[in-house]
Amino acid sequence: MMIETLLAVTFAGALLTFLAPNRIAGKLAFAISLIPAGLSLWLFTMFDGSGNALLEGGELAFENQITWISLGAYEISWYVGLDGISLPLVVLTTVLTTLAIVSSWTPIDMRESQFYGLVLFIEANLIGVFVALDFFMWFIFWEAVLIPMYLLIGVWGGPRRKYAAIKFFIYTNVASLVMFGAFMALVFSLDVTSFALPEVTQAMLNGGPESFAGVGGSTVASLVFIAMFLGFAVKVPVVPFHTWLPDAHVEAPTPASVLLAGVLLKMGTYALLRVNFTMFPDQVEAYAIPIAVIAVISVIYGAMLALAQTDLKRIVAYSSVSSMGYVILGLIAYTNFGVGGATFQMVSHGLISGLMFMAVGVIYNATHTRMVTDMSGMADKMPIAVGILIAGAFGYMGLPLMSGFAAEYFIFFGAFGSEVLEYAPLFTALAMFGIVIVAGYLLFAMQRTLFGPYRLETDYEVSRAPLHDVAPMFVLLGLIIALGVAPELILEMIFDAVDPILGGDA
Amino acid sequence: METAFELAPAIVLLPLAAFVVALLFGEYMPKKGAFAGIVATAASFLLSLYVLAAVASGGEFQETYFTWAAGDALSETGETTIEFTFGILLDPLSALMLVIVTLIAFLVHVFSLGYMNDEGETGLRRYYAELGLFTFSMLGFVVADNLLMAFMFFELVGLCSYLLIGFWFRTESAPSAAKKAFLVTRFGDYFFLLGVVAIGATFGTLAFQGDGSFVAEASSAIDANETLFGFDAETWVTITGLLVLGGVIGKSAQFPLHTWLPDAMEGPTTVSALIHAATMVAAGVYLVARMFGYYALSPTSLAIIAFVGGFTALFAATMGVVKDDIKQVLAYSTISQYGYMMLGLGVGGYVAGVFHLMNHAFFKALLFLGAGAVIVLMHHEQDMWKMGGLKDKAPVTYYTFLAGALALAGIIPFSGFWSKDEILFDAIILGLEEPIFLAAYAMGLLAVFFTGFYTFRMVFLTFHGEPRSDAARDPHPIGWNIKFPLVTLGVLALVAGVANLAPVGKLTGLEITYLEFWLDGQYGGYADLTYSEYGDTVPFETTYIAGSETITLLIAAGLGLGLAVGGAVFAMVLYNVPEPVPHTENLGSARTVLRSNYYQDEYQVWLAEKFTLPLARTADRFDQSVIDGVVNGVSSVSLFGSSRMQRLQTGVVTNYAALIIAGFIALLLVLGVLGGWFV
Repeated sequence: MMIETLLAVTFAGALLTFLAPNRIAGKLAFAISLIPAGLSLWLFTMFDGSGNALLEGGELAFENQITWISLGAYEISWYVGLDGISLPLVVLTTVLTTLAIVSSWTPIDMRESQFYGLVLFIEANLIGVFVALDFFMWFIFWEAVLIPMYLLIGVWGGPRRKYAAIKFFIYTNVASLVMFGAFMALVFSLDVTSFALPEVTQAMLNGGPESFAGVGGSTVASLVFIAMFLGFAVKVPVVPFHTWLPDAHVEAPTPASVLLAGVLLKMGTYALLRVNFTMFPDQVEAYAIPIAVIAVISVIYGAMLALAQTDLKRIVAYSSVSSMGYVILGLIAYTNFGVGGATFQMVSHGLISGLMFMAVGVIYNATHTRMVTDMSGMADKMPIAVGILIAGAFGYMGLPLMSGFAAEYFIFFGAFGSEVLEYAPLFTALAMFGIVIVAGYLLFAMQRTLFGPYRLETDYEVSRAPLHDVAPMFVLLGLIIALGVAPELILEMIFDAVDPILGGDA
Repeated sequence: METAFELAPAIVLLPLAAFVVALLFGEYMPKKGAFAGIVATAASFLLSLYVLAAVASGGEFQETYFTWAAGDALSETGETTIEFTFGILLDPLSALMLVIVTLIAFLVHVFSLGYMNDEGETGLRRYYAELGLFTFSMLGFVVADNLLMAFMFFELVGLCSYLLIGFWFRTESAPSAAKKAFLVTRFGDYFFLLGVVAIGATFGTLAFQGDGSFVAEASSAIDANETLFGFDAETWVTITGLLVLGGVIGKSAQFPLHTWLPDAMEGPTTVSALIHAATMVAAGVYLVARMFGYYALSPTSLAIIAFVGGFTALFAATMGVVKDDIKQVLAYSTISQYGYMMLGLGVGGYVAGVFHLMNHAFFKALLFLGAGAVIVLMHHEQDMWKMGGLKDKAPVTYYTFLAGALALAGIIPFSGFWSKDEILFDAIILGLEEPIFLAAYAMGLLAVFFTGFYTFRMVFLTFHGEPRSDAARDPHPIGWNIKFPLVTLGVLALVAGVANLAPVGKLTGLEITYLEFWLDGQYGGYADLTYSEYGDTVPFETTYIAGSETITLLIAAGLGLGLAVGGAVFAMVLYNVPEPVPHTENLGSARTVLRSNYYQDEYQVWLAEKFTLPLARTADRFDQSVIDGVVNGVSSVSLFGSSRMQRLQTGVVTNYAALIIAGFIALLLVLGVLGGWFV
């Protein structure tokens, strides 16, 4: 019942915050968010699961399954549990939400209770996405994340917030529709009696789909694989489905960006791992090269786009496209280090991009501009915030002893020796060039904005950032360094859940 | 002996502690945290000496402290698991390097008291914290027992260089130079990381030493004629070795990735001393020495190392000839000297290369600190044309600087002569057998002349003649904290050559090549990391002139010394006059080329700003117009469609009735056709 408690507390907290007066909503939301954060950390220390949640031979942690609705031959159940892949993401979600709430205290100055209520509501649904093991339940959480995010961008966002919010909502929602349709087709063509993801997975692995609507079984599997991939690809996002992301990020308020880049993007890669890369090993092999091509293009093209930007937030936004490309590369490598590294990168990128968005937000709070051309020499005025921004930027560049390096190294190492992917060394070498471009655009941006003589085009008096703006960044930096120095903190757990996917023992 | 090795982690961690202390409490400490760094590096230095003594008395040490990550991974050679660890490897090479690095770091800290504190710099807390981190990173790199750990600390060294080169961040130029340093070396590190990944994926291990090391695995793969990633084993070893070499070329500022180093002079001179003598730039060459067994397996790699080295030695030396800024001259000399080390290693002269690495560390630290002292004397003027006549006003600086200059130019009996001579000797005896190495030797030899010339041009312009500015007439006084490091290093620049008097040993038959014995593990050390082990692996034959080692030795030494003295004398003729004038105009158009550094910066800046950036902007326009255009186009189509559909909703009941009837008739017709009513 631990997971249910976690969800219930978060939902109740969201409701409570909605009802609270604006004046105290921020502090209240922070206090409330400490409960799920603490609970998830407690789950982390108590974790005793093994193996993969969808595959046989493992032992799920905190498992609970209750039949919810019976639909003819099919059963929908309340089915939750955690394994080594989902638990780190749950912890990431709760910790990042707490920090995002603290970082909102300065910039959010209207409709506070609604704002913080929605943030907690997102958190609850995100937890739901990572703990759900029944497709229906999972899909409800998946879709429910969109609504509060739509509102956060559309109400508290920048000048073009309506366009960005609608684009975000419709784009990802259409993708969900494709994915949903594909999954229904899959379930109906399989010999299963429920929507439970483990049952579907095992049916897929032990025989696969029968012919459905006049289409042969293996074709169904391939079509479903492609449709699901496309559906999730929008969420990740991979090139060419990425254009909603920079718009959403630029318009979103800082805390929404933190959650969007930090956790929402991981829904896409998490779902890819759970569905495409767990249920369809044959298709992974068959489509390895096109997927690797997409990964390499996402890395390099995303980095090139970041290089062309002059808005700090757009730079970080496009660099997410690049970083998510690494995740895809790791997944398609289909080796322990590849898939494990991809999962590690989900957590690591959540922390680092969160840190970067917060740092850019702190500078924006003080200067009311994010344009590289509008300022220089910020290091003089905000030494601590800038110091953290530099540390975060080097984390993004993959500096060793920070989590980004660990993640990228695992991915590169896993990809280089891939047996599923032909020409793996070549793909690895191409994608790796991203580490040079990322250094290029971040160093250029830092040189122009942070160093040199102080200059600011906007009429604001810049002073040191308040403690509650920099404290969350310190926490993130600490986590980034901790995971960089000792990746085993979560890597062991991840490997334990990844091995069965690749045919290893739990 | 055991204690020394057990204390080894402290050597690395003490400067890290100094970093933390200076960062947190530096503001409240006397001298802003300098003492934390001085105490830490002094303690590290003493411990390093202890380790050196332990190795000398027959010790060796390798221990894994911490598993960074471990998992299943099928390597090309059939290993099923891999572990990435942090460990310490102490052998003659790393013990020697520890002493060098800690000594220079200590002296730089002391010198900083005079150069930074006494000059009223701000941001000293940050300065000392970063120096501590820098020393920590380099020491971690030196003791690394595997390639991944080496890479990680290699990158941290790069970070610290970035921070320290950009120390004066309020200027325009320092942040730009820092960025360039990181970016250019990052480009090299891209290849290095690819090499690390490839070696790990091939052999399932990254250990430097032991039966399970990647060197041993590669050796047996070559012996067994295995195919690795579609290549025969030796080709693959060459490819991966060259990938790692990419990082070396970046960090050790070899052609074509040397362009960052002259710009890096934007950092404080103390930082330059540390970067050039003992950390950043030294890291590259040290890595080649560290995994020399791997390069020894591939004659192609060695030839490329030698060629890059020889070319860089000459190339950089010619540019040093026309510089006016004292630090710029030293910067190009650094590039050139590391070229010599690469040449030495490339021709299989492991001892010669390491010997020069050691000597260079002493004399280049000396020259940079000397230049720092000159800059203090000159009230922060760096243009040599504004100096002159400092000889009598600052004798300590002059004589120590002169010692460094003599060592750099390679004049007997100063240390630089012995190591450079050994490199050139190793190159010529190999070159007589393999002509391609003879070309590398020729470039190295020619560079000796230029080295002698630019070194003494610098000495004469700075210290001799009449003072050419008010600052030079009335120099700023310097304190003990500047003189002490200079004298220490000055003595070392003079005597360090004693470590390996190879020519003397060969001519007299005395057993005095101590460094060779040391690196050969004759006092202590692992058998697979010794000079003779490498020598057995290197597949080269050597030849002597007229079949006599003695004659070859004398010819090589005579040529080298003659050219060095020739260059120095030429500089004396031109510049050791009361009122020297620039003679560079006589070079004609060559002067323009040299002063523009062969347009190396231009093409790299062009690549970054005129090629990559416009490409990125084109990609951005494409993204905005085409890709996002399609997305917005889809929504426009659906909006357009819905606006047309709206027109059906007229709200007029008779229209709806007409539509209903029309639909009913259409349905009837369809059903009729399908049902066959009209047949």
